[in-house]
Amino acid sequence: CRLNMAALLRSARLLKCSPAVLLQVFGNSRHVSAAGRLYSEAVGTTRAGLCVQTVPGRLNVNSCRQYGVVPEQSGLVKDEPSVAVRSKQAQQFDWALAKLDSSVRRTGRVTKTLLLRIFHDICRTGYPSGNQALLLLRSCGSLLPEVPLAERVELSQQIWDKLQELGTTYDVSHYNALLKTYLQNEFRFSPTDFLAKMESANVQPNRVTYQRLIAAYCEVGDIEGASTILGFMKSKDLPITEAVFNSLVTGHARAGDMDSAEGILSVMKSAGIEPGPDTYLSLLNVYAEKGDIAKIKQTLETVENADILLMDRDLMQVVFSLTKASHQQHVPEIVERMRHERGYVPDAMNLCLSLITHGHEETAFSVLKSFTGLLVESQTSDSPDLGNFFLRHCANMDKPVENIVGFCKDLKDSGLHSSPLQFTLQCALEAKKTGMAVELMRSMKEEGLPLRPHYFCPLFTHYQKDKNIPGTLQALRAMQELGVASDFDTFSIYILPSFPSVDSARTSLKEAGIDVDGNILIAAELRTEASRGNLAGLFSLMSSPALPNIDLSAFRASLISGFRGIFVVLVLQKLPLCIYMTINVFIESRKCQIGSSLLFAENVAYFLYNLIDSLNETEVHSKEEQIREYFGLLKNMNISISLNIFRGIRNILESYQVPELVKCSIHELSCGLEGKLSFLEKTLAELKAEGKPASSTLKKVITVLCSEERLERALELKTQYETDMTPAAYATLINLCCRHDNAEEALKLKMELARKDSEATLDAQKYVALVRVLSKHGKLEEAIDMLKEMKEKDVQLRESTIGLLTLTMNTAAMKGDANTIRRLQETIFTLGLAKPSSNLCSPLISCYLESENYAGAFDATVEVQKQYNQMPKIHDLICGLVENGDAELLQKVMEFLSQERGEMMMLYDLYFAFLQTGRYKEARKIIETPGLRARPTRVQWFAEKCIAAQQMEPLENMVDMTVKLFECDRDDMYHYLLRLCKETNDWQKAEATWMKMQEENLAPRERTLRLLADILKNNDKEVPFEVPEVKEPIQLSAMAERLCNHFASYRAATDLFLIYLDTGRTEEAKFLLQRCAAVNEQKDTMFTYMLRAAQQPGQAAKIKALSELIPDFTEKENIFSHLVKCYGLDKDFSSAKALYERMQVEGVKADELTLKRLAQLYKEAGATVPFEEPPESFRFYADKLNKQRSESMEPADN
Amino acid sequence: MFFLSRGHGGHRQLHSQGLNMAATAAGKKVFEVFVSKVPWTVATKEVKEYFRQFGQVKKCLLPFDKETGFHRGFCWIGFTTEEGLQNALQKDPHIIEGARLQVQKNRKPFSGRKSNKEAEDN
Repeated sequence: CRLNMAALLRSARLLKCSPAVLLQVFGNSRHVSAAGRLYSEAVGTTRAGLCVQTVPGRLNVNSCRQYGVVPEQSGLVKDEPSVAVRSKQAQQFDWALAKLDSSVRRTGRVTKTLLLRIFHDICRTGYPSGNQALLLLRSCGSLLPEVPLAERVELSQQIWDKLQELGTTYDVSHYNALLKTYLQNEFRFSPTDFLAKMESANVQPNRVTYQRLIAAYCEVGDIEGASTILGFMKSKDLPITEAVFNSLVTGHARAGDMDSAEGILSVMKSAGIEPGPDTYLSLLNVYAEKGDIAKIKQTLETVENADILLMDRDLMQVVFSLTKASHQQHVPEIVERMRHERGYVPDAMNLCLSLITHGHEETAFSVLKSFTGLLVESQTSDSPDLGNFFLRHCANMDKPVENIVGFCKDLKDSGLHSSPLQFTLQCALEAKKTGMAVELMRSMKEEGLPLRPHYFCPLFTHYQKDKNIPGTLQALRAMQELGVASDFDTFSIYILPSFPSVDSARTSLKEAGIDVDGNILIAAELRTEASRGNLAGLFSLMSSPALPNIDLSAFRASLISGFRGIFVVLVLQKLPLCIYMTINVFIESRKCQIGSSLLFAENVAYFLYNLIDSLNETEVHSKEEQIREYFGLLKNMNISISLNIFRGIRNILESYQVPELVKCSIHELSCGLEGKLSFLEKTLAELKAEGKPASSTLKKVITVLCSEERLERALELKTQYETDMTPAAYATLINLCCRHDNAEEALKLKMELARKDSEATLDAQKYVALVRVLSKHGKLEEAIDMLKEMKEKDVQLRESTIGLLTLTMNTAAMKGDANTIRRLQETIFTLGLAKPSSNLCSPLISCYLESENYAGAFDATVEVQKQYNQMPKIHDLICGLVENGDAELLQKVMEFLSQERGEMMMLYDLYFAFLQTGRYKEARKIIETPGLRARPTRVQWFAEKCIAAQQMEPLENMVDMTVKLFECDRDDMYHYLLRLCKETNDWQKAEATWMKMQEENLAPRERTLRLLADILKNNDKEVPFEVPEVKEPIQLSAMAERLCNHFASYRAATDLFLIYLDTGRTEEAKFLLQRCAAVNEQKDTMFTYMLRAAQQPGQAAKIKALSELIPDFTEKENIFSHLVKCYGLDKDFSSAKALYERMQVEGVKADELTLKRLAQLYKEAGATVPFEEPPESFRFYADKLNKQRSESMEPADN
Repeated sequence: MFFLSRGHGGHRQLHSQGLNMAATAAGKKVFEVFVSKVPWTVATKEVKEYFRQFGQVKKCLLPFDKETGFHRGFCWIGFTTEEGLQNALQKDPHIIEGARLQVQKNRKPFSGRKSNKEAEDN
């Protein structure tokens, strides 16, 4: 047998992948991340990190362009780490890096914000790779046209130092990159010092280093210095290239020796080097610096005659040189010569930006006007907005407002921009430039444009953050001066919170000479007090006769949310006085029609419950009088408390042994369930006696009885009042019979109902419950009739009901009744009640597996695959065969799988079976099959299965043996491991995992680090690294959406959605859903989230919010069971009770573990458990559920 | 109900289920459109005024970002009648102060939400 297995293994290893697959595997020699693939067009086969240099010489206005022209093949970093290491490192930055790259490709520039963000991201992980360092350094030069030179130099220095501090090893490519930024940023430095620095770091300079040092000397006209370096190069036998001569042209010219500069060209020729476009560009630039337009024209002619092509971006450098040397009058002559090549517009925009940055916005504007014609074509909107980039940069650079207004007027008058002033104002507001904003608004007013109160909000927001009162007053004064009336919203949201109190605000405003409408102030004050939870203040304001007639609905929301705060204060302080105040405010708010009375009563009820709940026994005893008084008061106000809340209150009081108070509460607050029942039954009898219709009362009684699981009494009543039984009453009763496993009675009732009303239709859940109970008790034909009836009556099945069908068949499977399963399956699929699915087909296989009839199971597998194209339970089948050592049948199964799903999938199936059964050696051989690549969905399936069943060993083994698996996301693998550690709260294992990650030199994603930190913290262990903060999702939102909408990749959007949910930002979550509806469908991720959330107390709200945001969540049982778990953790009986009632109403079946948890809650609250508590232990049902769950999870076909 | 969400300051208040259903049932039907690409220069007042031409506007919710002080560029308009909704949906293009608004039927019901800066007409 052992031998046979080995043979099988050999054959598996020899099963070669098709050549196409191999080609795909080995042809793509780089680990291209998912994000990389999305940007495949941009990224190509090299990594994003290397892409910047493939935009050669894009307007390097301060340097000669040859530096940019690096042949593609030499672009690879020298000490390029191994493919595997590289894939581990920086994987998490691919997205950001690709973004940087795409920014350069689209616009030829990078914004400082983006660069800094990526820099900080890289720093945060603590493992900046050489590659990343190179990318960052390279982005600090002319790719930042919006950043002043000095700032760029500072930035590059900061990045250099920081990365070095973080342990990045710099090689010569880094020094060269740094030199390049020095040149581009016109930074004056000592080349000898630079060389010394390299020497001390033991880095050998190369040819490029020397060339750049020569350029540096030449920039300042230091020919002597350049000659020294040239001497070095000669002594080292390094070739002197065109680049060196080009620098020398600049060098001689800057030294004031134009003759020598011009003479370089003949020197070159005599040295056998033909002057190229860059040589002429150097020459043109030095003429431009002299303002010698005649020479420029002459040179351009020479160039043309020599058949040398100068690009537009070369000419742009000439424009820049002219302007910098204050010869801008010649700019139009150069601009005229531009040929508007491809990529002209972004280059020209960058020229404008550079000119503005250098203080030449007038010239920049003339350049802008020269190419607006090209921009017009790209305008798709109805209102033109050309020149936005220009206006924004002017605002950012604090250009004089009169200049900006001039540009705006020009743009508007020439029809290029419909609202330039408004746009610039927006920029100024975004940049929090109050002075500029106010000046712009003044201009707008002069132009007759409307000014609105909300224009000031960004300024107020800014000042509010650091409670800057002078700033706030300044903005208010400007508002007044401009004649903009501040409104209620502005006041209450943006202005008042800056002041310590409303009174001080009033005083300050008065002193500052700012008039405010008194009513607005009072209304704003009300809102502020409400949201601050200042009950006393609110009360005195509201009861004051001076309260103006204001629109209270406008601040209803804050009033209500303010009450929430008040309650908390009350509950904490437990002040009897406050109880009165609450009621008074409630009465007041009622008078003002704030909130519906329903909401009002509800608030009071919960308030009361929480108040009582927050009191300890002694306090209840000592405050008995007040509480009783409060109860009386509530009664006088006609406030009734719903039954479940009342019960909660009663239970607390009972546990504190305050019989008087309990009695009082019963008397004042509720009449109790029994009372309700006897009242209903009495009413029923009376109605009957009077000959009045009684069906609706009967239905009520039956519903109550059913909710109390009192079948016998319900049946009695049914017999007694049979003529008054409505279909709804029957349905409820039938369902109760099914719950009580009473097939006879259920069928009898159903037939009775059919006789009375042949049209009567049950809901899907009740039909399926009937099918279940009937088939379970051997009434297969009757069960099938029910299914047929469902079809006839067009009853639609929901996911949860379909799940119930699976359960029904599983019951048969446990009994080994394959016939029943086949009949049910066939009927369901033939009638089209449900589509064949893995779950629905699995009972048939289970049926054979249960009795270890593997041959039967295999035949059934083939049958199900042929008939329904499903392959459920294949993992279990293979595991069974491996365990039994049935190599012959295993071989058959493998052949079948290979034929149906391909070799790769078959290998994974075999691999998982070996893992599952602890045959790790065999598993390793499979996973090391040449050509096998990572299949994330398969790997995830197995990992999730292990996590659900808390099986550490197979999971750990899988993680270990996939180290070298091609394209295996290592971070994902460790994340699975840590998730299981989290489940089992195993901090030692988590710590060991962390070590392994370090050994593997893996730079983990932030979520992984956070999870690890979480486990350690929960066990009071020190966290040996800096825990990454949760990223501000707004940075991310737009990209997530893009991924979602353009690439059908929902992971990012779903993660973001869950982050919003987790941080209580329901509105954002909702909005995201609105835009990326597909997030709705990422149920697996949502369930994983719920599963995790339900591990800790206080999470019920999140799960509830999730279920409310996605109301069409079909797997209700799942949500409810998580919620029950949460309520259990929170010891929140009343919510659990309400949920249980809802489950009853909706007919959602609770699993035994959930029932067990519910029962626990009922018992703890001293209530009667309204159902039969499952007899076994929690552990027992948890294990059972885990087993079921892992069984129902079938390999995903990908 | 406020207390059941102890420690959670989400915008959405959690109701006990029965009451929630009752409240929903009691709530009047609103006919909502979702409007995006709202220019920053207009606020609730202007948007509401614009949409009034299609029917009585019951509510207009234009959320502001309290971090930036700008609104978020989208809003919800609730009409009192189906007719108002249809009128608004049929009109194309919607131009407000020269900017083209995107108006679509609200895919998810929006009732029950409260915001700090809301404006409701009753």
